[in-house]
Amino acid sequence: MLEFEGVTKRFGSVTALDTCTFSAGPGRLTGFVGPNGAGKTTAMRSVFGLVELDAGTVRWRGAPIGQRERQRFGYMPEERGLYPRMRVRDQLRYLAELCGHGRRQSLRSVDEWLERLGLADRARDRVDTLSHGNQQRVQLIAALVNDPDLLVLDEPFAGLDPIALESMSGLLREVASAGRTVLFSSHQLDLVEDLCEDVVIIDHGRVVRSGDLAQLRAGVPQRFVELRHRGGPPDLTRLSGIVVAESVPGLVRLQVAGDVDLAELVAEVRRSTDLVSFSYRPPSLPELFREAVTA
Amino acid sequence: MNGLRQARLVAAREIRERLRSPVYYVSLGLMLVSVLAAILAPSLVGSGGEKKVGVAGETPASLVRTLEGQARATGTEVSVRRYASTDAGEDAVRHGRIDVLVVDGRRLEWQRRADEELKALITGSAQVVAVQERATAAGIRPETLGALLAPVKVGNRVLGPVAGRTSDDETATYLLSIMLFLTVSVYGGMVLTGVVEEKSSRVVEVLLARLPPWSLLAGKIAGIGVLGLVQVAVTGVAALVAVSVSDLADLPAARASVLAWAVVWFVVGYTLIATAYGVLGSLTSRSEDASSVTGPLTVVLIAAYFAGFATIGSPDALWARLVSWFPVTAPFAMPNRIAMGAALWWEPLLALVLTAAATAGLVVLGGRIYSHAILRTGAVVKLVDAWRGSSVAARVRTRPGRGAQAALVAGAVALGAVAGVLSRDVVVGVGAGAIALTIASRFRKAHR
Repeated sequence: MLEFEGVTKRFGSVTALDTCTFSAGPGRLTGFVGPNGAGKTTAMRSVFGLVELDAGTVRWRGAPIGQRERQRFGYMPEERGLYPRMRVRDQLRYLAELCGHGRRQSLRSVDEWLERLGLADRARDRVDTLSHGNQQRVQLIAALVNDPDLLVLDEPFAGLDPIALESMSGLLREVASAGRTVLFSSHQLDLVEDLCEDVVIIDHGRVVRSGDLAQLRAGVPQRFVELRHRGGPPDLTRLSGIVVAESVPGLVRLQVAGDVDLAELVAEVRRSTDLVSFSYRPPSLPELFREAVTA
Repeated sequence: MNGLRQARLVAAREIRERLRSPVYYVSLGLMLVSVLAAILAPSLVGSGGEKKVGVAGETPASLVRTLEGQARATGTEVSVRRYASTDAGEDAVRHGRIDVLVVDGRRLEWQRRADEELKALITGSAQVVAVQERATAAGIRPETLGALLAPVKVGNRVLGPVAGRTSDDETATYLLSIMLFLTVSVYGGMVLTGVVEEKSSRVVEVLLARLPPWSLLAGKIAGIGVLGLVQVAVTGVAALVAVSVSDLADLPAARASVLAWAVVWFVVGYTLIATAYGVLGSLTSRSEDASSVTGPLTVVLIAAYFAGFATIGSPDALWARLVSWFPVTAPFAMPNRIAMGAALWWEPLLALVLTAAATAGLVVLGGRIYSHAILRTGAVVKLVDAWRGSSVAARVRTRPGRGAQAALVAGAVALGAVAGVLSRDVVVGVGAGAIALTIASRFRKAHR
């Protein structure tokens, strides 16, 4: 379990993190979302002691994080970086050894990962001769090569093609299902929604929502109703507490309160138009995000 | 795994990766070749050798005989050749086939400047011949005169500025100091580019998520230092072998104890300079900025080198002793004074303690700057910001005004003047000034 407790970081007059408290649990994928500049990267860096905090602590399994704990972590920074002129296999072995793995153990792990990600035949090549996609894979292996208990990935999906995206998703799911804690940031909210059990939404350095995604969605008072109809637009003027989010010919999207009387709504719609289909759901992550960030 | 073991892994990586590249072998080879050439070339060419004298016109045979006699007495090898005409003789002088042409026993003709030793020899012989002719005319018997004018053997001895050290020693010490300076600055520079490379390729964030900043910097300095140490040691051993093979009987500057001290001073000087370079390197994320950031340090380094260089000429002077104790100049001055036999036994130890203390101080102060600056990308980090650790979104570095640039140029000229006065050598002074000016103008360019 990775816990942030009251974590605060200021850069001059800018507060990058403002008493952030949230956690990421083992065996689950935790998505970290927020607008640009919200503080995601600073928060992730603070796990690795790369930022000196002004207040608060980051804990791992209940204890403050030191050098020893970090050697059981994996990290993929937003700014990808490897030694450009070093050979792939040497480089990954070096990074594994820095985590306290022996030479043989490191090489075994490196070779396994290279094999798995289809890079075995590039093991002896210099990193700068690899394609962008392959460099990304090497970067991912660099985070995984020490068989970490906690994996922190900053924008792992940025710049991936659909196939690479698919395999990255599968890999993360697999890593988490082996009981590891995975925290990653992303701007692709639909992807996070598909993939993650937990989310943390951060805005202007403040955690505005965090926890189990299904519960977060259920906990929001608004619901979304989508109506497809034939004929003119439905007349909703007699109903209260309804906001028309979108209205185009044949389709109306509504935002309603959680305790709305659906039977009355349907009856009202059918009085004025021909109802084709009707759906009622809690907000999606993008809707949740928009609501949380603009609130 | 603790930070020390990680530092060892970092050092091992530096050595492994650099031994893969031919750059290291080329630099080692160049250093070896130049040191060996400097030692062996003079003994292969031979010092001075035979002097060739041409004679033309009405030069009496007695002059030639007397000249050969005088030459034997002073230990100079002279060969004489007679030319049928003055023109033929002058042609030989012009083409360097002979050193001097004696015309009519009274006039000496040289290609460029007169060889003072040869000039004295021939002039002396001409005097002797003239005295003989006048004596014969005055009725003195040639045997009596011969006994009177028998050449006296006059020996020569070069004292040098310090007892027991000759000008050859000075030359050898110059070589030693150049070698030390080159290795320290080349390997110190490698630390600089290594740190900047880690920052510009962003690999540093991956690394520092796993190990503390001090392990990364210490490991890098140690690894590159080992390579430099190997180069210094190999060159030193090669110099020793070369000296013992060639018959330069005893060259104190190439003695084992002097070279052992040189190795020690390489380690100390390199550690100091490499730490400074590494810390300054952490301020910049682009290699284009590196030279402007380290410009002031490079000027200091060159000034220290020239101060050390100047101590060779007067190693016993008070200022030379102070220069050889002062931490920044000690690594470039003390080996020279040791080689010149001028350092008392406790002086190198004192200088070592002072330099080690300065290095330790730099490690503490610089370590703080390094760990604050190393993760900040973008524009050059200001030293003050790095010290405070205030990570204000990196500010653009302000350009030095015209005043600062003029001060740099004036500093370069002053440096040249000081170096010239101290070494009592115009060439050294002009060279120092020129190098400092080059760096100053590079500094200016980097800011445009």
